[in-house]
Amino acid sequence: MNIYILGVAFSLVFLFAVVDLMRRRVLMEQYSLLWLGMGIVILLVSMFPQWLNGIAVAVGIYYAPSLLFLIGFLFMLGTMVHLTVVLSRLTKRTVRLVQEIAILKAELADEGRTRTEDADQTRTMVALQPTENSK
Amino acid sequence: MNDALVIIPALNEEKTVAAVVDSILCAVPTVDIVVVSDGSTDRTAQEARAAGAFVINLSVNLGIGGAVQTGYRYAKERGYQYAIQIDADGQHDPADLPRLLEEARQGRGDMILGSRYVERTAYRSSRSRRMGMILLSTLVRLAVGYPIKDTTSGYRVVNRRIIELFSSYYPFDYPEVEVLVLLHRNHMTIHEVAVQMKERQAGVSSINVRKSIYYMVKVTLAVGLELLRKRAVEED
Repeated sequence: MNIYILGVAFSLVFLFAVVDLMRRRVLMEQYSLLWLGMGIVILLVSMFPQWLNGIAVAVGIYYAPSLLFLIGFLFMLGTMVHLTVVLSRLTKRTVRLVQEIAILKAELADEGRTRTEDADQTRTMVALQPTENSK
Repeated sequence: MNDALVIIPALNEEKTVAAVVDSILCAVPTVDIVVVSDGSTDRTAQEARAAGAFVINLSVNLGIGGAVQTGYRYAKERGYQYAIQIDADGQHDPADLPRLLEEARQGRGDMILGSRYVERTAYRSSRSRRMGMILLSTLVRLAVGYPIKDTTSGYRVVNRRIIELFSSYYPFDYPEVEVLVLLHRNHMTIHEVAVQMKERQAGVSSINVRKSIYYMVKVTLAVGLELLRKRAVEED
C-alpha cells in the first residue's frame, strides 16, 4: 500500500509544481494541458490501483505495473511529437523574423546613404554661394 | 528600378561574388541584383555592394532556402515582375541570362529553367552524380507527369506568380527538386532552356557521400510529401 501513498504524494507535488509554473507564467497554458492531464492520470491510478489492475486484465497484461510503463511511454511519445511540432513552428517564425529584419535594415541603410548623398550635394551648393554669415 | 531582380545567396564568397555581380551586369545591364549574405563572416557584403548589388545581410545563418526566400520576399515587396536565380560560385554563365529572361517575358512558362542536358553542352559530370540525377529525373517525372531533364539546376527565371508563391513557402534546404514538384502542384508551368555550365571558380562543392545520401532521402521524402498535399501553400 505504501507505494500507492507515495504515488498520490508524487502526483500531488507534480500537479502543484505544474500549476505553480502556470501561475508564474513560466509555462504557457496551451502547453501545460498535457502535463496536467498526466498528473491527473497518475493521481487517479495511485488512488484507485484496482482500476489499473482491471484495465490490465481486460487488455491481457499479466503484470499490472507494465501497463503503467506503457501509459508513460505513450505519453512521452505524444509529448515529444508535440514538442517538435512547436519547435518547427518556432523555427518558421524565427526565419521569417530574421528575413524581415534583414530586409528592413538593408532598406534603411540604403535610404541613409541616399540622404547623406543629398546632404553632401546641398552642402556643396551652399558652400559655393557666398552667404551673409561668411562676410 | 528595373522589372527583373537577380537573387544571389552567398555564404563567405568574398573572392567570387564581385566577379559574379560584374559579369551579370555586363551581360544584362537592365536587371537589379540583390545579394543575400547568409551570415557571412568575411567581406562578402562589402564586395557585393562595391560591385553594385543591393545587399541584404542576414544576422543569423538561415541556410540556403531561408536566404533565397529573403530575396523573393524582397522582390515581392518591391514589385519586381521577374526574379532570377544564379549560383554565386561562378558555375552559371550570365551570357545565357538575356535568353532565359526573354523566354520568361514571352510567357513560355512560369519558370524558365537553365538546363545542362537539353542540348549537348560542354558540361561533364561524374558517373555517380549522373546516376543520382537519373534517379531524381525519374522521381520528378513520376511526380510531375512530364520529363524535366536537369532537375537539380539552380539557374532559373520566375515570374510574379512564383515570386508570390516562394515568398510564402520555400523549401528549407536542397530546394531545386522539391520546387519543381511544388510548382506543378500549384498549377505552374516549367520550361527548360539549354545553358552552358562552367567549372567552379572557387570554393568547394557542398556535396559529399554522407550529404549525398541525406540529399537523396530528403528530396525523395519532400517529393512524396508534396504529392500528399492538396495545395502546398498557406499563410500562417
